[in-house]
Amino acid sequence: MTRKIEDILNNCLERLFRGESIRDCLESYPEQASELELLLRTSVTIIQTSSAIQPAPQFKTRVRSQFEAILRQGGVKAEKAKIPLWGRKWAVAVASVVLVFLVGIGITAASTSVLPDESLYSVKLSAEQARLALTLSDAGKAKLHIQFAERRAGEVAEMARQGKSEKILVLAEQVANHLGKVYEAEKTGEIEQGTPRALAPPPDKGAEDYSAVGGYVKELTKMLDESRGRSLRILESALEEAPPRAKPSLQQAIEEIRADYDEALFKIESGSN
Amino acid sequence: MSIEEDVVCRAVKGDKGAFAQLYEDHFDKIYRYIYVRLRNQDEAEDLTQEVFIKALQAIGSYKWKNLPFASWLFRIAHNQIIDHVRKQGKVEKVDWDDNISLAEELDPGLIAERELEVEDLLEKIRKLSPAQREVISLRFTAELSVAEVAGVLGKSPGTVKALQYNGIVALKKMLLVNR
Repeated sequence: MTRKIEDILNNCLERLFRGESIRDCLESYPEQASELELLLRTSVTIIQTSSAIQPAPQFKTRVRSQFEAILRQGGVKAEKAKIPLWGRKWAVAVASVVLVFLVGIGITAASTSVLPDESLYSVKLSAEQARLALTLSDAGKAKLHIQFAERRAGEVAEMARQGKSEKILVLAEQVANHLGKVYEAEKTGEIEQGTPRALAPPPDKGAEDYSAVGGYVKELTKMLDESRGRSLRILESALEEAPPRAKPSLQQAIEEIRADYDEALFKIESGSN
Repeated sequence: MSIEEDVVCRAVKGDKGAFAQLYEDHFDKIYRYIYVRLRNQDEAEDLTQEVFIKALQAIGSYKWKNLPFASWLFRIAHNQIIDHVRKQGKVEKVDWDDNISLAEELDPGLIAERELEVEDLLEKIRKLSPAQREVISLRFTAELSVAEVAGVLGKSPGTVKALQYNGIVALKKMLLVNR
């Protein structure tokens, strides 16, 4: 049976990939040898020439370290566990968001290495948005906004250390946005256990439940206060290390961020009275 | 179960080491494939990263039986390139990128010579039909098998072999004209 030249060529290519020589192949197909020889030499030229294209070593190292950070946080493992819980078609879309969120957890841990001027940063922000979207309770959202505000503050510090002053005030603005949303979420918030705050019974009918509302506000205040302390410590430490050109912007950012934290704390504390 | 199937199955179940191994096994090939298609180092780097992020996000839903793993991964890359080209509103790049990164171990004279060879070859590959170009890129620069290329492109192995043959014939003619 006559084999098509396409099949013969492919068979020879497979043999070349396995390390056989052009001559070995030609000996197997003496009738097609004259046509095959030039095709195989052309193929070897393509293979040899294109193999010279390699990713730059520094790029490869950088991406590898970013992925190692993601993998260390178990993004892949957690992603798999979520999938069987959903049975409906629309859940596929929701699961995708969950996966982005889980990947985001890994990126979060590597937040010092993923900065606004890096390509993974947009993934990090998307993951944050996904986490907010998937958090049903306003109490949970408020806590996430505190985390993200602190993360932005950390990025301000790191950008300042690297002398990238152009991003500092933009990031400080994002800290303010997150802190503003802490109060908004808290104002209409639910008790962590799921009881809407507005439906919480008055003290004389259910002192235990009402105290849960106060406990939630107390917890949020404590969390915000601790976040304020950590953020300011990081920023002030960066102020000592930052190159001179970044210091004016960083100084301004520190003052704004301190004021934003104080305002958020004031609103929550006064709103709870 | 083959070694690769074992690694892929472990990655699907959440084994971090297994995904890291798949990443190492395919990173250079994915980069090379994207570079050959776009001929721009920055764009190739960005898209290579995005391919692995997407793979990490979707690995939990991968089913071994449906598509060989390399086909699945390169399909992500293929789709990324299509999206990228569409978003950029441009055809695949014609101009040569001076920033091409070649194997580091070559000496400067050899690098210059090899750059010219690569430039010449990519220019010729660019002149193939889109389908031939896809097959040649996946087969020779990404080193996929015919079955894997068929999986990426959604074509039959017979069609891939025919495109491969016609592509090599066309490249042979172009290379002969140069000599």
